[in-house]
Amino acid sequence: MKINYLFASLLGVSMAACTTVNTVERAQPVAQKQMIADKRVLTDAGLARGASIVGVNESSTPDGFLKVQVEILNRTRSLKHFSYRFEWFDQNGMLVNTPTSTSIPRQIEGQESLFITAIAPTPLAKDFRVKLIEDNR
Amino acid sequence: MKPSSYSLILGVALLAGCATQNATYVDPNGTHTLATVNKINIQDWSNAAETMINSLLDSGKVQTHGTEPAILAISRILNNTTEQIDIDMLTKKMRVALNKSGKMVTTTTQGLGGAEDPLAKGLQDQEAFIKNTKVTRNPDYTLSGKIIEDRARVGNVRQASYIFQLSLSSSDGLAVWEEEKTITKQGTKPAAGW
Repeated sequence: MKINYLFASLLGVSMAACTTVNTVERAQPVAQKQMIADKRVLTDAGLARGASIVGVNESSTPDGFLKVQVEILNRTRSLKHFSYRFEWFDQNGMLVNTPTSTSIPRQIEGQESLFITAIAPTPLAKDFRVKLIEDNR
Repeated sequence: MKPSSYSLILGVALLAGCATQNATYVDPNGTHTLATVNKINIQDWSNAAETMINSLLDSGKVQTHGTEPAILAISRILNNTTEQIDIDMLTKKMRVALNKSGKMVTTTTQGLGGAEDPLAKGLQDQEAFIKNTKVTRNPDYTLSGKIIEDRARVGNVRQASYIFQLSLSSSDGLAVWEEEKTITKQGTKPAAGW
């Protein structure tokens, strides 16, 4: 009997840790994403599964600022915490320094997909890099 | 001899107790900053400012005068939290970002409660007097808002939410851009102590 309780408790704990997300959306999306070819450097295999990059698309604001959107998917069945940070570069490849370029913490449920977006700090910014890091705080 | 040794050891121990641990530098925009529930931390200000700037630049609502950037004046931003805060932690980041974007410059001679830079105001008045003309260009936009706090507690888990609300009003009194950013933090309260 005791073993049954232990098994039930363990099952309960494991199920509580594995909350996943169900989604529904339009079968034929109206919006046309302008996807871009990206280069990835993966050094953390756990993070690469917990915050997997599905794709990157870009557009520009009415004032000509570059706008970037990255789709992130948690391929695991458990909640993940991560932080991301955008870096911007001008046409000469020089880093554009901005006081608002900071690590933003996010959390993502199991099997959930979310988008992170950023706007270039100046119209001179032509390129970008996104850094993702597992948040253990 | 023995009492001397004891006093020496005690002296060293006391001195060691007074010494502070070595401090280490961390990137204020990185992931190694400290987070607490009870206050708005440095990374929260940066996070809120980034959201606001992204939203403002994305809106395309800031009308410049040709190549000249629009002029922004900082109006009242209410602090409705329980902590004493310096609102420049938010507005200065936004001002710097807007300045670098080329979309807006902030006036330091006009503002709520007087000029931020009295010397600049004096020079502006002097120039107006010498030229016998009004050289002051009125701000095109004003920034106002509020910071609100919401707290909850269940068992020993404490939660604090800080809501940053900002509005950009045009000179005809219309809020042409508005944004709200909520930052929520949870932490556990120790069973004993404070």
